[in-house]
Amino acid sequence: MTRLFATAAATALAAAALVAGPALAQDAAVETSPPDAPYQKVSDLVPLPDFLPGIGELFVDPATLPAGPFMAYDRDGQLVSTIYMIPISAMNADTGFDNLAAPGGNVDHVDIYFNAGHPGVAEPHEHIVLWHVPVADETRVAE
Amino acid sequence: MRRRDFLRAGGIAAALPLIPRTALANSVVEIAMAGRPDGSRVWFDPFGVLIRPGQTLRWTNLDKANSHTATAYAPENDDHPRRIPEGAAAFDSGYLLPGDSFEVTFALPGVYDYYCIPHERAGMVGRIVVAEAGQGAPADYPGGDLDPEVLAGFAPVADILAQGALYHEEP
Repeated sequence: MTRLFATAAATALAAAALVAGPALAQDAAVETSPPDAPYQKVSDLVPLPDFLPGIGELFVDPATLPAGPFMAYDRDGQLVSTIYMIPISAMNADTGFDNLAAPGGNVDHVDIYFNAGHPGVAEPHEHIVLWHVPVADETRVAE
Repeated sequence: MRRRDFLRAGGIAAALPLIPRTALANSVVEIAMAGRPDGSRVWFDPFGVLIRPGQTLRWTNLDKANSHTATAYAPENDDHPRRIPEGAAAFDSGYLLPGDSFEVTFALPGVYDYYCIPHERAGMVGRIVVAEAGQGAPADYPGGDLDPEVLAGFAPVADILAQGALYHEEP
Protein backbone atom coordinates (compact mmCIF):
# COMPACT_ATOMS: atom_id res chain seq x y z
CA MET A 1 0.00 0.00 0.00
CA THR A 2 1.24 3.42 -0.85
CA ARG A 3 -0.94 5.73 1.13
CA LEU A 4 -0.76 9.44 1.63
CA PHE A 5 -1.21 9.96 5.33
CA ALA A 6 -2.83 13.34 4.98
CA THR A 7 -4.68 14.20 8.17
CA ALA A 8 -6.81 16.95 9.51
CA ALA A 9 -3.80 17.92 11.57
CA ALA A 10 -1.68 18.39 8.48
CA THR A 11 -4.45 20.45 6.93
CA ALA A 12 -4.58 22.63 10.01
CA LEU A 13 -0.85 23.14 9.87
CA ALA A 14 -0.98 24.09 6.21
CA ALA A 15 -3.76 26.56 6.88
CA ALA A 16 -1.79 28.03 9.73
CA ALA A 17 1.18 28.44 7.40
CA LEU A 18 -0.93 30.59 5.11
CA VAL A 19 -2.03 32.74 8.03
CA ALA A 20 1.50 33.06 9.32
CA GLY A 21 2.39 35.67 6.72
CA PRO A 22 5.80 36.81 5.57
CA ALA A 23 7.61 36.98 8.94
CA LEU A 24 10.69 34.79 8.98
CA ALA A 25 11.51 32.32 11.71
CA GLN A 26 15.15 33.34 11.93
CA ASP A 27 14.16 36.94 12.68
CA ALA A 28 11.81 36.16 15.55
CA ALA A 29 12.64 36.68 19.21
CA VAL A 30 12.60 33.25 20.78
CA GLU A 31 14.29 33.46 24.19
CA THR A 32 11.05 33.28 26.15
CA SER A 33 7.62 31.79 25.59
CA PRO A 34 5.71 32.63 23.52
CA PRO A 35 8.18 33.38 20.72
CA ASP A 36 7.34 36.03 18.15
CA ALA A 37 5.33 35.30 15.02
CA PRO A 38 5.49 33.33 12.81
CA TYR A 39 5.92 30.78 15.60
CA GLN A 40 2.71 29.17 16.82
CA LYS A 41 2.01 26.85 19.71
CA VAL A 42 2.07 23.28 18.43
CA SER A 43 -0.76 22.16 20.72
CA ASP A 44 -2.96 24.85 19.17
CA LEU A 45 -2.27 23.43 15.72
CA VAL A 46 -2.54 19.69 16.31
CA PRO A 47 -3.98 17.46 19.05
CA LEU A 48 -0.99 17.15 21.36
CA PRO A 49 -0.57 17.98 25.07
CA ASP A 50 0.53 21.56 25.85
CA PHE A 51 3.59 20.24 27.67
CA LEU A 52 5.44 17.17 26.41
CA PRO A 53 7.48 15.40 29.11
CA GLY A 54 11.11 15.30 28.03
CA ILE A 55 10.61 18.09 25.49
CA GLY A 56 8.59 20.93 27.01
CA GLU A 57 6.17 23.37 25.43
CA LEU A 58 6.67 23.45 21.66
CA PHE A 59 6.32 26.22 19.11
CA VAL A 60 6.92 26.08 15.36
CA ASP A 61 6.59 28.20 12.26
CA PRO A 62 4.16 25.98 10.27
CA ALA A 63 5.84 27.04 7.03
CA THR A 64 8.97 25.15 8.10
CA LEU A 65 7.34 21.75 8.62
CA PRO A 66 8.25 18.99 8.92
CA ALA A 67 11.87 19.87 9.72
CA GLY A 68 11.32 22.90 11.94
CA PRO A 69 13.00 24.34 13.97
CA PHE A 70 10.65 23.63 16.86
CA MET A 71 11.40 25.82 19.87
CA ALA A 72 10.96 24.11 23.28
CA TYR A 73 10.36 25.92 26.59
CA ASP A 74 10.30 24.90 30.23
CA ARG A 75 7.37 25.59 32.56
CA ASP A 76 8.81 29.04 33.35
CA GLY A 77 8.76 29.98 29.68
CA GLN A 78 12.54 29.80 29.21
CA LEU A 79 13.96 28.36 26.00
CA VAL A 80 15.66 25.01 26.59
CA SER A 81 16.13 23.49 23.14
CA THR A 82 15.73 23.79 19.39
CA ILE A 83 14.46 20.62 17.72
CA TYR A 84 14.51 19.52 14.09
CA MET A 85 12.31 16.62 13.00
CA ILE A 86 13.64 14.82 9.92
CA PRO A 87 11.45 12.10 8.34
CA ILE A 88 13.26 8.81 7.91
CA SER A 89 12.16 8.74 4.27
CA ALA A 90 14.00 12.02 3.71
CA MET A 91 17.29 10.56 4.82
CA ASN A 92 18.50 9.53 1.41
CA ALA A 93 20.83 10.63 -1.38
CA ASP A 94 18.24 12.81 -3.08
CA THR A 95 16.98 14.85 -0.13
CA GLY A 96 18.61 17.53 1.94
CA PHE A 97 17.67 20.31 4.33
CA ASP A 98 19.72 23.45 3.77
CA ASN A 99 19.93 26.59 5.87
CA LEU A 100 17.53 25.59 8.61
CA ALA A 101 16.98 28.48 10.99
CA ALA A 102 18.83 28.25 14.31
CA PRO A 103 17.60 31.23 16.35
CA GLY A 104 18.12 29.74 19.80
CA GLY A 105 21.68 30.88 20.45
CA ASN A 106 24.47 28.89 22.05
CA VAL A 107 24.23 25.11 21.97
CA ASP A 108 25.47 23.14 24.98
CA HIS A 109 25.01 19.64 23.58
CA VAL A 110 22.99 17.66 21.03
CA ASP A 111 20.67 14.63 21.26
CA ILE A 112 19.54 12.62 18.24
CA TYR A 113 16.89 9.93 18.62
CA PHE A 114 14.13 8.12 16.74
CA ASN A 115 10.48 9.08 17.13
CA ALA A 116 7.63 6.87 15.89
CA GLY A 117 5.56 9.90 14.90
CA HIS A 118 2.91 12.16 16.34
CA PRO A 119 0.19 14.47 15.04
CA GLY A 120 1.79 17.05 12.79
CA VAL A 121 4.76 14.84 11.87
CA ALA A 122 3.05 11.46 11.57
CA GLU A 123 5.84 9.82 9.63
CA PRO A 124 8.54 8.13 11.72
CA HIS A 125 11.40 10.58 12.04
CA GLU A 126 14.54 11.58 13.92
CA HIS A 127 14.54 14.27 16.58
CA ILE A 128 17.71 16.34 16.43
CA VAL A 129 17.76 18.32 19.67
CA LEU A 130 20.08 21.29 20.17
CA TRP A 131 20.06 21.84 23.91
CA HIS A 132 20.66 25.41 25.04
CA VAL A 133 21.00 24.32 28.67
CA PRO A 134 23.43 21.94 30.38
CA VAL A 135 22.60 18.24 30.63
CA ALA A 136 21.70 18.64 34.29
CA ASP A 137 19.05 21.20 33.40
CA GLU A 138 17.18 18.86 31.09
CA THR A 139 15.16 18.03 34.18
CA ARG A 140 13.40 21.37 33.69
CA VAL A 141 11.29 19.66 31.02
CA ALA A 142 11.27 16.13 32.42
CA GLU A 143 7.70 16.34 33.70
CA MET B 1 -18.17 19.48 23.41
CA ARG B 2 -14.69 18.70 22.20
CA ARG B 3 -14.39 16.68 19.01
CA ARG B 4 -13.13 13.58 20.72
CA ASP B 5 -15.99 13.72 23.23
CA PHE B 6 -18.45 13.89 20.37
CA LEU B 7 -16.80 10.97 18.64
CA ARG B 8 -16.67 8.97 21.84
CA ALA B 9 -20.34 9.50 22.48
CA GLY B 10 -21.12 8.75 18.86
CA GLY B 11 -19.12 5.54 18.90
CA ILE B 12 -20.90 4.26 21.95
CA ALA B 13 -24.30 5.28 20.69
CA ALA B 14 -23.69 3.51 17.41
CA ALA B 15 -23.02 0.23 19.15
CA LEU B 16 -25.54 0.32 21.99
CA PRO B 17 -28.72 -0.45 20.02
CA LEU B 18 -27.22 -3.73 18.94
CA ILE B 19 -27.09 -5.33 22.39
CA PRO B 20 -29.14 -5.39 25.58
CA ARG B 21 -27.97 -2.91 28.21
CA THR B 22 -27.77 -5.64 30.85
CA ALA B 23 -24.92 -7.24 28.94
CA LEU B 24 -22.72 -4.22 29.59
CA ALA B 25 -22.39 -4.73 33.33
CA ASN B 26 -18.91 -5.71 34.48
CA SER B 27 -17.81 -6.50 30.99
CA VAL B 28 -15.34 -3.75 30.18
CA VAL B 29 -11.94 -4.87 28.92
CA GLU B 30 -9.11 -2.33 29.13
CA ILE B 31 -6.59 -1.56 26.37
CA ALA B 32 -3.77 0.88 27.06
CA MET B 33 -2.33 3.24 24.47
CA ALA B 34 1.30 3.37 25.50
CA GLY B 35 4.76 4.37 24.40
CA ARG B 36 8.31 4.93 25.47
CA PRO B 37 8.94 8.31 27.09
CA ASP B 38 10.98 9.46 24.09
CA GLY B 39 8.32 8.38 21.60
CA SER B 40 10.58 5.90 19.85
CA ARG B 41 8.02 3.08 20.19
CA VAL B 42 4.25 3.17 20.59
CA TRP B 43 1.76 0.34 21.03
CA PHE B 44 -1.63 -0.93 22.14
CA ASP B 45 -1.54 -3.17 25.20
CA PRO B 46 -2.84 -5.77 24.79
CA PHE B 47 -2.45 -5.59 21.03
CA GLY B 48 -4.55 -8.71 20.56
CA VAL B 49 -7.57 -9.56 22.68
CA LEU B 50 -10.45 -12.05 22.75
CA ILE B 51 -13.86 -10.88 23.98
CA ARG B 52 -17.40 -12.21 23.94
CA PRO B 53 -20.24 -10.60 21.98
CA GLY B 54 -21.71 -7.78 24.05
CA GLN B 55 -18.49 -6.94 25.84
CA THR B 56 -17.08 -3.43 25.85
CA LEU B 57 -13.51 -2.36 25.16
CA ARG B 58 -12.11 0.79 26.71
CA TRP B 59 -8.99 2.38 25.25
CA THR B 60 -7.14 4.81 27.52
CA ASN B 61 -4.17 6.95 26.51
CA LEU B 62 -1.49 6.32 29.14
CA ASP B 63 1.23 7.92 27.00
CA LYS B 64 2.08 11.26 28.61
CA ALA B 65 3.86 12.65 25.57
CA ASN B 66 1.62 11.72 22.66
CA SER B 67 -1.93 11.51 21.40
CA HIS B 68 -3.43 8.37 19.91
CA THR B 69 -6.54 7.06 18.21
CA ALA B 70 -8.33 3.70 18.03
CA THR B 71 -9.62 3.63 14.47
CA ALA B 72 -11.22 0.65 12.70
CA TYR B 73 -9.87 -0.50 9.39
CA ALA B 74 -12.77 0.43 7.13
CA PRO B 75 -13.35 2.57 4.04
CA GLU B 76 -15.24 5.06 6.19
CA ASN B 77 -11.97 5.83 7.97
CA ASP B 78 -9.74 7.60 5.44
CA ASP B 79 -10.46 4.95 2.78
CA HIS B 80 -8.64 2.18 4.59
CA PRO B 81 -9.29 -1.45 3.60
CA ARG B 82 -12.16 -3.15 5.44
CA ARG B 83 -10.90 -5.40 8.22
CA ILE B 84 -13.98 -5.57 10.40
CA PRO B 85 -17.05 -7.80 9.98
CA GLU B 86 -19.71 -6.82 7.47
CA GLY B 87 -22.38 -4.83 9.28
CA ALA B 88 -20.09 -3.71 12.10
CA ALA B 89 -19.73 0.00 12.89
CA ALA B 90 -16.46 1.62 11.75
CA PHE B 91 -15.42 3.06 15.10
CA ASP B 92 -12.98 5.97 15.41
CA SER B 93 -12.05 7.52 18.73
CA GLY B 94 -10.64 10.73 17.30
CA TYR B 95 -7.45 11.97 18.95
CA LEU B 96 -7.19 11.04 22.64
CA LEU B 97 -4.89 13.20 24.74
CA PRO B 98 -3.16 11.69 27.80
CA GLY B 99 -5.77 10.38 30.24
CA ASP B 100 -8.63 10.35 27.73
CA SER B 101 -10.65 7.18 27.11
CA PHE B 102 -12.92 5.78 24.43
CA GLU B 103 -15.32 2.84 24.59
CA VAL B 104 -16.93 0.59 22.01
CA THR B 105 -19.28 -2.33 22.62
CA PHE B 106 -18.93 -5.20 20.18
CA ALA B 107 -22.05 -7.16 19.30
CA LEU B 108 -21.11 -8.90 16.07
CA PRO B 109 -18.70 -11.87 16.18
CA GLY B 110 -15.64 -11.68 14.00
CA VAL B 111 -12.19 -10.13 13.67
CA TYR B 112 -11.75 -6.37 14.11
CA ASP B 113 -8.46 -4.79 13.07
CA TYR B 114 -7.75 -1.20 14.05
CA TYR B 115 -4.93 1.34 14.02
CA CYS B 116 -3.71 4.58 15.52
CA ILE B 117 -3.96 7.34 12.91
CA PRO B 118 -0.63 9.11 13.60
CA HIS B 119 1.22 5.86 14.29
CA GLU B 120 -0.02 3.39 11.71
CA ARG B 121 3.25 3.60 9.83
CA ALA B 122 5.06 2.89 13.09
CA GLY B 123 3.09 -0.37 13.36
CA MET B 124 0.69 0.72 16.11
CA VAL B 125 -2.20 -1.59 15.24
CA GLY B 126 -4.39 -3.98 17.18
CA ARG B 127 -6.74 -6.90 16.68
CA ILE B 128 -9.92 -7.84 18.50
CA VAL B 129 -11.53 -11.25 18.14
CA VAL B 130 -15.19 -11.36 19.16
CA ALA B 131 -16.35 -14.95 19.58
CA GLU B 132 -18.64 -17.05 21.73
CA ALA B 133 -17.05 -19.78 23.80
CA GLY B 134 -16.62 -22.85 21.64
CA GLN B 135 -17.36 -20.97 18.47
CA GLY B 136 -15.35 -21.94 15.38
CA ALA B 137 -12.18 -19.95 14.86
CA PRO B 138 -12.53 -17.01 12.49
CA ALA B 139 -9.88 -16.64 9.82
CA ASP B 140 -7.12 -14.07 9.60
CA TYR B 141 -7.64 -11.41 6.96
CA PRO B 142 -5.55 -12.05 3.86
CA GLY B 143 -2.50 -9.84 3.37
CA GLY B 144 -1.75 -7.60 0.45
CA ASP B 145 -3.96 -4.66 1.41
CA LEU B 146 -1.53 -3.01 3.83
CA ASP B 147 2.19 -2.39 4.02
CA PRO B 148 4.21 -5.34 5.35
CA GLU B 149 5.33 -3.44 8.45
CA VAL B 150 1.69 -2.78 9.32
CA LEU B 151 0.60 -6.39 8.68
CA ALA B 152 3.43 -7.59 10.93
CA GLY B 153 1.77 -5.83 13.86
CA PHE B 154 -1.33 -8.03 13.91
CA ALA B 155 -1.36 -10.99 16.24
CA PRO B 156 -2.49 -14.22 14.58
CA VAL B 157 -6.11 -15.06 15.38
CA ALA B 158 -5.07 -18.51 16.59
CA ASP B 159 -2.71 -16.96 19.17
CA ILE B 160 -5.43 -14.63 20.43
CA LEU B 161 -7.88 -17.52 20.77
CA ALA B 162 -5.29 -19.61 22.57
CA GLN B 163 -4.05 -16.95 24.99
CA GLY B 164 -6.98 -14.56 25.35
CA ALA B 165 -4.78 -11.47 25.33
CA LEU B 166 -1.35 -10.70 23.89
CA TYR B 167 0.77 -8.01 25.52
CA HIS B 168 3.60 -5.85 24.25
CA GLU B 169 7.07 -6.85 25.38
CA GLU B 170 9.86 -4.30 25.34
CA PRO B 171 13.09 -5.60 23.78
